[in-house]
Amino acid sequence: MRRLRLAIVGLTACSGCQLSLLNCEDELPELLKRFDFHFFPMACSPALLDDEYDAALVEGCVSMPHERELLEELRRRSGYLVALGTCAVFGGVAALRNGEDREQLRRHVYDDNQVAVETCDPQPLASVVAVDAGVTGCPPEKEELLRLLAGLIRGALPVGIDYPVCTECRMRENLCLLTERNMLCLGILTEGGCGARCPGLSVPCEGCRGPLVEANLTEALEIYAQKSFDRATVLGRLRRFCPEWQS
Amino acid sequence: MATQFIANHNLELLLERLRTYAEVHAPVRGDDGGVRFAALTPGTLPDLAAPRTLLPPKKYLLQPRETILNYTDEAGYQLPSVISSPLILFGLHPCDLAGINYLDQVFTCDDPDPLYAARRSALILVGVSCSPDEFCSCHRSASPLKATSDLFLNVLDGGFAVTSGSPRGDELLDLANGIFEERESAIPEDMRRFFGHAVTAEVRPELDATLPEWQELADRCLGCGVCSICCPTCYCFDVLEFGGLDGRSAARVRQWDNCLFKSHGEVAGGMSFRKNRAERFRYRYRHKYHGFGALQGIPSCVGCGRCRVVCPAGLDLRPLAERLERWLP
Repeated sequence: MRRLRLAIVGLTACSGCQLSLLNCEDELPELLKRFDFHFFPMACSPALLDDEYDAALVEGCVSMPHERELLEELRRRSGYLVALGTCAVFGGVAALRNGEDREQLRRHVYDDNQVAVETCDPQPLASVVAVDAGVTGCPPEKEELLRLLAGLIRGALPVGIDYPVCTECRMRENLCLLTERNMLCLGILTEGGCGARCPGLSVPCEGCRGPLVEANLTEALEIYAQKSFDRATVLGRLRRFCPEWQS
Repeated sequence: MATQFIANHNLELLLERLRTYAEVHAPVRGDDGGVRFAALTPGTLPDLAAPRTLLPPKKYLLQPRETILNYTDEAGYQLPSVISSPLILFGLHPCDLAGINYLDQVFTCDDPDPLYAARRSALILVGVSCSPDEFCSCHRSASPLKATSDLFLNVLDGGFAVTSGSPRGDELLDLANGIFEERESAIPEDMRRFFGHAVTAEVRPELDATLPEWQELADRCLGCGVCSICCPTCYCFDVLEFGGLDGRSAARVRQWDNCLFKSHGEVAGGMSFRKNRAERFRYRYRHKYHGFGALQGIPSCVGCGRCRVVCPAGLDLRPLAERLERWLP
């Protein structure tokens, strides 16, 4: 069986998604049999972007001109381009201040010091290139990454998830942190697939996996209001991982 | 009439005897206050007064997510082996018994599901009578489902009247020999509420698609799926197949689904039978109250109230059902 050639790249992000893949210790030997990690600067050297790739897995958002060029280059060289993690899919934490004046933000952080890097509003990959699939999560679940790779062997892309965190939370027979514990849990608006990792530990969902398909924001805001969480607070929390939530 | 009576203070003794027969699971109140069916350890008493558990007992028959077939290039598709040692479910309310009765008809009658059948044959059901709270509707509408069990405990003053409903129930009675006392008592005529002598709803072939309720429900539904997860009779499942990293194996997985999810009515080519949530509510209603296929005409709401309790938006199909269905008193 021919090994699939992969490019695994991080743009503006914390590298946690790539690390999640490297954390699949038990599966790494099998992965090395099936895949040629040809361009994976975080894990392998030398890393030369000089080949064609069956798939490129890209973590992070686009916030600098050279990232845009790298992403376009990866798109040209790759059969599939997969957005890896919330930042790549939605913009993520780096996009938190999108819409505000960048010069003011720069001054806030660096004052009068000269900064050599040129930046733009952080964007998800799909606003720059065509993206074939996304695996959301901050970081994505190891199981999802392995399923993505196992699917690529067969030329298949991951199936989208159309249920929220609540589905798996109730499957685990948890009490509801929002309705039964009056906590600001974002599970009802957030894409599931994490096995309700946080609510399972009585920690409210922070919405790290981004918006649920067909999310009912109007009704959710009603429910939050009944629990004394106002609209601005809820939307502020939602936008931490996805700036697209509109007021 | 003479009945077998067990006093409250002997309940622990009965459970001890039952544990010699099989593992016992019962409603147990957790540290967080939630009541769940779980293993009943010695010294712990079941919470028989709790109106309902978070998940119904269907979790013992259909797991939220389970592998139903394993594939390898050499052996093809193979059923996973199910090890099902006997398990006593103690303290099942009539609604949950009726729920199991419904699932039995879905999964064991027509074309038996081997995983379900294996687990079901290992279950020994011990029911208990209960009093409805404001979320229950078992006493307000009729269901032709039967609340059958191996043993049934009718709550009386100071204890329970125990009746057997099967040869296995007789075995359990023998096992508890000496704990029971014969007592002349008039058991309230039917402590199982309406179950067992119910009247079938009139079957309507079609439901009006233009009813404003479908859209009203859809506008408020969050699509979270917990109404079906917590339902004793919702059995819709999705089937996914995941290839192994070796490129030569795969696992086919069945997981609980919900008819209000976007993908529930989707088919190949990106088409969907039910594109919007209003259509999905009508579908949910039809399935829940009118039934499909061999179970057409059998309403499957057992009135446990779980869906109403857990819905974050407080949605409830019952008022609509009570308006549309001509249930007889």
